[in-house]
Amino acid sequence: MIMKRIKRSAVCADNSFTTQSRSRGAWRMLLFFAALMALLALSMLLGPSGIGIPDMESPSGSAILSLRFSRLLMGMMTGAALSASGVVFQALLRNPLAEPYVLGVSGGAGLGATLTILAGTGVLASFSLPIVAFLSAVVTLMVVYGIASQGSSGQPSVYSLILSGVIVSSICSSIIMFLVSTASVEGMHNVIWWMLGSLQPVSAGQQLLSAALLFGALAGIWLLSPRLNALALGREMAHYQGLHADLVIVIGLLFATLLAAIAVSLSGMIGFVGLIVPHVMRAIFGPDHRKLVPLAALGGGVFLVVCDAVARTLLAPVEIPVGVVTALAGGPFFLIILQRRMKQAWIA
Amino acid sequence: MMQHYAMTFRNVSAGYKQRKVLDNVSFTVKEGEFVSLIGPNGCGKSTLLKTAAALLKPLSGKVELFGQDVQHIKPALRASLLGVVPQKIESPMAFTVDQIVMNGRISSMGRWGTPSSVDHDLVERSMIYTDVLDLRERFFTELSGGEQQRVALAMVLAQDPKIIMLDESISHLDINHRQEVLQILMNLNREKQMTILLVSHDLTLSAGISDRFLLMESGTLVKAGTPVEVLEPEVLSRVYNCDLHVQQDPYTGYLQVTGAIDSLRRRQKLNRSVHVIAGGGSGIELYRRLLIEGYEVTTGVLNRLDSDAEAARALNIPAVLEQPFSPVGSDTIAQALKMVGDSDIVILSQVPFGSGNLVNLTLAEAALNSVKPVFLADGIATRDYTEGKAALAFSTRLMQSGAKVWHSMSELMTHLQQQPDR
Repeated sequence: MIMKRIKRSAVCADNSFTTQSRSRGAWRMLLFFAALMALLALSMLLGPSGIGIPDMESPSGSAILSLRFSRLLMGMMTGAALSASGVVFQALLRNPLAEPYVLGVSGGAGLGATLTILAGTGVLASFSLPIVAFLSAVVTLMVVYGIASQGSSGQPSVYSLILSGVIVSSICSSIIMFLVSTASVEGMHNVIWWMLGSLQPVSAGQQLLSAALLFGALAGIWLLSPRLNALALGREMAHYQGLHADLVIVIGLLFATLLAAIAVSLSGMIGFVGLIVPHVMRAIFGPDHRKLVPLAALGGGVFLVVCDAVARTLLAPVEIPVGVVTALAGGPFFLIILQRRMKQAWIA
Repeated sequence: MMQHYAMTFRNVSAGYKQRKVLDNVSFTVKEGEFVSLIGPNGCGKSTLLKTAAALLKPLSGKVELFGQDVQHIKPALRASLLGVVPQKIESPMAFTVDQIVMNGRISSMGRWGTPSSVDHDLVERSMIYTDVLDLRERFFTELSGGEQQRVALAMVLAQDPKIIMLDESISHLDINHRQEVLQILMNLNREKQMTILLVSHDLTLSAGISDRFLLMESGTLVKAGTPVEVLEPEVLSRVYNCDLHVQQDPYTGYLQVTGAIDSLRRRQKLNRSVHVIAGGGSGIELYRRLLIEGYEVTTGVLNRLDSDAEAARALNIPAVLEQPFSPVGSDTIAQALKMVGDSDIVILSQVPFGSGNLVNLTLAEAALNSVKPVFLADGIATRDYTEGKAALAFSTRLMQSGAKVWHSMSELMTHLQQQPDR
């Protein structure tokens, strides 16, 4: 009987279906990268000063191009951070609704950032912004998790987590509103601009610091990614399979929180990316986190870059907040994809 | 080298925050043994497995795998010693069967999570063993419960562990695949000396394949031994709190555990009535069991609002009731005496006695006087709050006049069945 099965497996191994689906996956990946490159190139051509490559000979032309490029970098960093953060939260909490916003992490980071913006000026503030945002985001996550685990042994339920996340998040935004309303005119201006969410380049120092933190966190998460696969079956099963399950969860949550804090301190409150991009990437490429983490980071980055290009071009010279575009333009597009491929994304 | 047991529990107590589930459990499992862990729902079988796999830290005592304290074994090494197939695994995301089974190799793969050829071979072999090769490209979430269970087993087999514990994992399977999975387990056990610990509710099935049984009851290990030693009808009936028979199949020699069907049938109508003296919630389980067994039940005297009075009303049991929080009066006792006169048997629950309800014992006395069997719950001394231990003295008198004492529900039910018909 066993022999028969082995024979069957041999047939199965070079079954055309298997190879066919493998090569289909490769094609899909190739197509995806081509599209990313094309979109990035396209976004370099869009801007309030007109469509196309500006005149490189004139000083204003090269300034425009370098501005577009730095916004591209801002978009890549912010989008990658938000999207990868969403991937990790969704995997660790085994919850399709988990993302930095719903869990209150972005709200906490926002509160920390607001305090920093209102308190300080100059170089120090821009450096401390990501750090303070991260610390306040960690505290917020601990509060949310703590409230949600009250009365339950072990992991909190999906619903209590979302509920306490939403509550803590709205408390944070109320405090931000209070701080803004009592702030000086200049401080108010700074905070509101930042909160609306925009990819206006921040200082070079903050960009460098953010980039370093971002790469560190992404690399860390990628190292965790096979363990994220195992944790998708739950903490208990991961433990049985020989993981330090709790340690992996804590490290993963810290990295995801760091990513969210980086995004918030760079570009303010931009919603939607952390929730939807992971789902779409999972729908297209499957849930294997070894592939999903880098793909979602790339996809999230390019998505935000494109949205920003649209935001600054559509009603030029007026610039639409990029968060509006991510939701308005991205929403329907992603809904269509998800409707067709939800089965492969998440079965709740 | 000293021969180690595959698994050793040394005086292990374990549980959760406030609730101790395992109480001082000790046993050993030899390498290569096939052991079935049995016991009623909620007796601590799953907690035992979790403690064995170091998911729960014992409150006291020690669990050893091959002579090493399981709390101190590195997780990756532990996974190569011990695999656990849980009752059910849930994948929230759309992983394919391939990807799920590969999880079994997670702790032995390198840092980058790239499977080696050894990993691939083990995954392949596990999938062949469990007959899930055809499902490899399917989504795990789309499979039937039985198919998912076989994939889970394949995943655990891919760990290549020396011990496998299964937590009621095969109860979801249809008969065909249950036999097949058991066959796989038996082969692994026989050919690779894999040690198997199977939590099972199918006593007959387990009797056929196990070297040894561990019988648990409310957190303690009641009995450990060969199937013949453990599967004793008296012990099983007490632990499972129902009437069980054990027979040996004349052809195969296998033991068969069956519920007593004829007692089920008899339950429909017994035409015998039992009066229960209860109070304070001590009567509810008695009412329930007596009604299930088919007796006509009456009760009293109870105070209104007493939880037994509420239960009697809910179960349509005729009851004599006194005002709330008042001592039992002469009127109500007279009514109750009439009720006792109409009944065949009188049972005293584990009701606490005070000055207010002491008079209820005269009901038992009256029954004895008219030569009706009377059963008193044991341990009345601990529940006697009357002055001068009047209830204890009274009950001693009752016993001298022929009242019997009952200790457990199943014992009481056996006694009742032995009473001659009216």
